Amino acid sequence: MSTGNEVMHDGVMSTGEDARIFPDVEACIDCGGCVVSCKRTWDVPRDEQRISIATMLEGQEAASGLNASSGKAIGQGESPGETAVPMQCYHCSNAPCVSVCPTDSLISKENGFVRVRDDLCIGCQYCLSACPFGAPQFPDEDSGVANLVGSGGTMDKCTMCEERQDVGKGPACAEECATDAILVGTPAQISDELDNRDSGTFFNDVAMDIIFGDDASEFQ
Amino acid sequence: MSNLDHGKFTRVTTLFHSLLGLDVFLLFFTGYAIMFNDELWWMLTLMGGASGVTAIHRITGIGLVALVVFWITLQLISSTGRSNFSKILPAKDDIDAFIQDVQFVLGRADERHPSARQFAGYKADEVPLLSYIGKGVVAIFSIELTLLAISGLLIWSKTGLAAMFQTKAAAMAFVTFHGLLGVIMLMGVMFHIFEHGMHPAFYPVETKAFIPRSMVPEHHGDDDEEPDTTGIERLSLSPSWRTVSTVFGAMTVIGIVSVLVGSIFDEGYPVPRELAIGGGPSSILLTVGINLGMIVLGVGLVLSMYGNVLRIRWEQQLEQEREPTTAADGGEPQTDGGRPDAGDSEN
Ligand code: SF4
Ligand code: SF4
Repeated sequence: MSTGNEVMHDGVMSTGEDARIFPDVEACIDCGGCVVSCKRTWDVPRDEQRISIATMLEGQEAASGLNASSGKAIGQGESPGETAVPMQCYHCSNAPCVSVCPTDSLISKENGFVRVRDDLCIGCQYCLSACPFGAPQFPDEDSGVANLVGSGGTMDKCTMCEERQDVGKGPACAEECATDAILVGTPAQISDELDNRDSGTFFNDVAMDIIFGDDASEFQ
Repeated sequence: MSNLDHGKFTRVTTLFHSLLGLDVFLLFFTGYAIMFNDELWWMLTLMGGASGVTAIHRITGIGLVALVVFWITLQLISSTGRSNFSKILPAKDDIDAFIQDVQFVLGRADERHPSARQFAGYKADEVPLLSYIGKGVVAIFSIELTLLAISGLLIWSKTGLAAMFQTKAAAMAFVTFHGLLGVIMLMGVMFHIFEHGMHPAFYPVETKAFIPRSMVPEHHGDDDEEPDTTGIERLSLSPSWRTVSTVFGAMTVIGIVSVLVGSIFDEGYPVPRELAIGGGPSSILLTVGINLGMIVLGVGLVLSMYGNVLRIRWEQQLEQEREPTTAADGGEPQTDGGRPDAGDSEN
């Protein structure tokens, strides 16, 4: 259990079915640990990454009194100042990528994971246009048929380490994160943890609805 | 000249029609294999799986753009092109005819406009060769093809498009637009195939789009006088027409409805899930229906090839009819009518 002074490694609260992944932007220090652990775990090609850290308003200070509270600042309509957001696939409840994929190669599984079926993907990149979080990657863009006709190659994205979760481990990025900025658990667990830490959610209502669906109400 | 001398188009136009047909059919087969991949899984497999299909779709897409550019250039630089172009532009007459026909359907006019009676045994001086219906078909197809080509090129690179418009929504809007246009176009093409393949007078294929007007004689009469009739009474209805056209008509309707329903029910492209009313492609009926639609397209492809075979036969027949004159240098035509038939002509 988390106590006030012992938050380390409490990021992974539960795994497997219904587990969600969500960032605590207050905790992220842009160290790149998640990126490295993901690449190392899944042999992600050199120029690709399944998780990236988007740094916003780099070098800027937040509105007064809110420098370490980006989420709150956003909620109050103030500038959050420099904020690092770990971005990967959030395995959305209302996944727009699944909705637009013409070949049904993207599926929302019963257990909540959004998977891409490689053999069906035609590299049309519709998912890339639909995903609000920039999750879909196209590592094979320049090889084979994709190179000839200019299609995208097969899509690749964060799997939330489904295989690791199946055996009770957390996603590599979340396990590795030194500041527990990547939270894994049920929506209720994540929302409680964010409350405990007094961190905001950072994403707006539209994004929260996409990611959590009906469970978005947990975060209000 | 009667309307049954149905040579409407120039040689280039008839050739263009065949090439365009072939290209568009390929675009449809690949596009639909992508869009209805559950229902048309066999098509996807036949065309080399997921990556093969996209490759063919993109290559034929470029082919379409090339054809369209060629066509527009031709219209602009050749005088025949320019005069043909002005002929297919809608005129006041066409609007009148359209209005009268709508009134007729609503019971407010006594008869249809002469333009709409093209095939009812009227002669060319009574009925315009190119009715508003023909012009409408040309206009609709041209506009749709242009929009399909433009939206297709735009969504070629989704990242480029998103960057250009500074929003991903723009990219998705074009994607959806392209898909919906494809659905509408497919319905039009299926109807076009039915209309021109199953016409009672010309079944199984209306040859006017295949036999250039330069090869069509002025009229069917044996003497030089303007014939009294159009010759329609001399055509006999093919015995199989009724059955075939009923079956094919049913397939066309079922195909059109299924594709429409499929694109609304099948969540995803081109109708986003938020707007889709159904629950996925599990329905066997839908699978059968969409496949029937594809068979209609397949028949269209066969008819298009058959039209070209007919043109070649027609050319050969014209060749043979010219032979008696060459035989006049001492040889003897072998039939008393002066027209040897195919079996008689040696070397
Ligand atoms: S929309 Fe993006 S973040 Fe959401 S499930 Fe799809 S790829 Fe993942
Ligand atoms: S790129 Fe692949 S996964 Fe993405 S929408 Fe296209 S087919 Fe689906």
